[in-house]
Amino acid sequence: MFSIQAFLDSFGPLLWAARYTLLVSGLGIALGLVLGALVCAAALSRWRAARFVAALWVSFLRGVPLLVQLLLMYYLLPVIGINVPAIVAAVVTVGICASAYISEIWRGAIGALPPGQSEAAVAVGMNNRDLWTRIILPQAVVMSLPALVNELILLVKASSLVSLVGIMEVTRASQAQAATTFRPLEVYIAAACIYLLINLCLAGLGRYLEHRMAV
Amino acid sequence: MADASSVEIRGVDKFYGSFQALSAIDLSVPPGKVTCLIGPSGSGKSTLLRCINFLEVYDSGEIRIDGRMIGYDAPGGRRMSGGALRRMRQSIGMVFQQFNLWPHMTARENVAEGLLRVRRLRRAEAMARAEAALEKVGLGDRMDNHPARLSGGQQQRVAIARAIAMEPRLMLFDEPTSALDPELVGEVLGVMKTLAGEGMTMVVVTHEMGFAAHVADRVAFMDRGELVAVDTPEAILTRPEDPRIQSFLRTFHERNSF
Amino acid sequence: MDWDVLRQYAPILLRGFGITILAWAFGTVFGMALGLVISLAQRYGARPVRWVLQAYIEVVRGTPFLVQLFVLYYGGPLVGLRLDALPAGLVGLTIYGSPYFAEIFRSGFDAVPPGQAEAARAIGMAEPAIVRRILLPLGLVSALPALVNFSIILTKETVILSVITVPELMYQVQRMSTETFRYLEANLVLALFFWGLVELISRGGRRLETRITRHLLERPGHG
Repeated sequence: MFSIQAFLDSFGPLLWAARYTLLVSGLGIALGLVLGALVCAAALSRWRAARFVAALWVSFLRGVPLLVQLLLMYYLLPVIGINVPAIVAAVVTVGICASAYISEIWRGAIGALPPGQSEAAVAVGMNNRDLWTRIILPQAVVMSLPALVNELILLVKASSLVSLVGIMEVTRASQAQAATTFRPLEVYIAAACIYLLINLCLAGLGRYLEHRMAV
Repeated sequence: MADASSVEIRGVDKFYGSFQALSAIDLSVPPGKVTCLIGPSGSGKSTLLRCINFLEVYDSGEIRIDGRMIGYDAPGGRRMSGGALRRMRQSIGMVFQQFNLWPHMTARENVAEGLLRVRRLRRAEAMARAEAALEKVGLGDRMDNHPARLSGGQQQRVAIARAIAMEPRLMLFDEPTSALDPELVGEVLGVMKTLAGEGMTMVVVTHEMGFAAHVADRVAFMDRGELVAVDTPEAILTRPEDPRIQSFLRTFHERNSF
Repeated sequence: MDWDVLRQYAPILLRGFGITILAWAFGTVFGMALGLVISLAQRYGARPVRWVLQAYIEVVRGTPFLVQLFVLYYGGPLVGLRLDALPAGLVGLTIYGSPYFAEIFRSGFDAVPPGQAEAARAIGMAEPAIVRRILLPLGLVSALPALVNFSIILTKETVILSVITVPELMYQVQRMSTETFRYLEANLVLALFFWGLVELISRGGRRLETRITRHLLERPGHG
């Protein structure tokens, strides 16, 4: 039957491993934000080639399962002569994957601004740079915050997949724990609880941001 | 229309939280007569109309249709059962400001839906009655169109056909022409006038003072949840005594004088 | 890629593809059905029912699919739930998808203007008929893009079933790559395959959308 003791005992090692879960998802979203901004800029650019590359980037990364992307990166890097620790490859892959979704979030936020905003700015004689830095971007970034928090929640869950390329985060640690204690049910439920805890906190943050925006 | 309904409203109150939307409304609508409810926006006229078929729940007082109380078993009593309420609603037609036609059904299907699902008529009979109702509102050539393919005036006429196909004894109109382009108002008012001529009991919330003046038997003026006056159209619209009515009509005429 | 290798492995790859499609279709159909039931129960159910369902939604959405599969497949037997890999995977996908589908249906229903149901109520239509005739068809139409979108996400999640040894495409490709040492090529082909599949489904979804919403779109001034 379910052993409360085994359940509670698994939290120690799993919480310790959670630092890698947070690291992968945290650095992943950071990289995703930077790359996502570039991809978004390319998608909105006036050059057709840039738009084409951005569309291809987004379509590929959203069409291919993250697990396949992780394995591709894992096998590709040595072949092209790059030798980095697995954790770096994992973070980069997660970040690249996130950039596709984040660029779409931003593109959506910019597209959702009422056109009257830009028209009003142009009407008062504002130049293009000011239009973007003073009017469009501040609003779009604020509007996109809840969606970005949601993306972070997705990344926390997706980071469980990096266990399959050898990173000792929560999921991998729970597998190791289950193998030594022979209590998989308790251990995996404990792992689920940790993810749930992280994500409920993030969801709370998201609701807070949404609430503040509404005011 | 031999069996038109009467409506008796007595001491009706309605609250939204602490805001009193209706206070102590008394109004009687005799059978076969047209009563227009007018007044500034937010005066509670739509709320009162929606209480008559209990789409809006009133908190105290009573509303009786042909002597039968709607919404509650007795004054201050328990809520009426869903089935009993639905049976009463079957004989009360309602037309909404936003038409509320079902966009996934053709005009004919919109009209037939109630006959099929509520009256439980056979398909052929329901369709025949739906077609007759659409002919009556002048849309015999539009039966297979979806609402998105109809103009606002046509949509509202389908909505009227949907209501009259159920053979109601009372019709409620909630600002039926307010969402229409000005040039489409006439066709809808025309249909309503025909209905009135046939002796249908009608309660109409409207801003069309012309309709109120020429078609209504009685006009009720509401302001801030109170029924200020009920009288003949002439008494209310041409020589009102109450200053609130005078000021309402003045702003109304100023707005329409351009 | 060596064509001989591909020819040699073609039968097991095809079988793997079949299981991938099976898992996707099963997860979409049953996940959607469960999600629909949940969303209706949340709309019309008593308060305790709604709380329980909300907790279910939060838990399933807050945890990774991989961990859910581990609980079900490796933890299940400890409480007498002994499932083979494939059934465990199918059940897992259904559970995993249900809260997302439920939320999609909920916002689909919320998008139906209240006047639509009110008009039905005003002619005396009963609540079950209103759900069946008005709320469901209109809610489904507005939920359609999100439904297609999530169904695509499920396509990609099926590869995770390989971790609990469900012999779907990913599993077979990994098996092939360890036997032939063609890791990079095998995964590249797999990536391209999914890319194509997802593009195909999203195009099909968009076509379906335009077909279904055809007469719902506002085309005023006609006649």
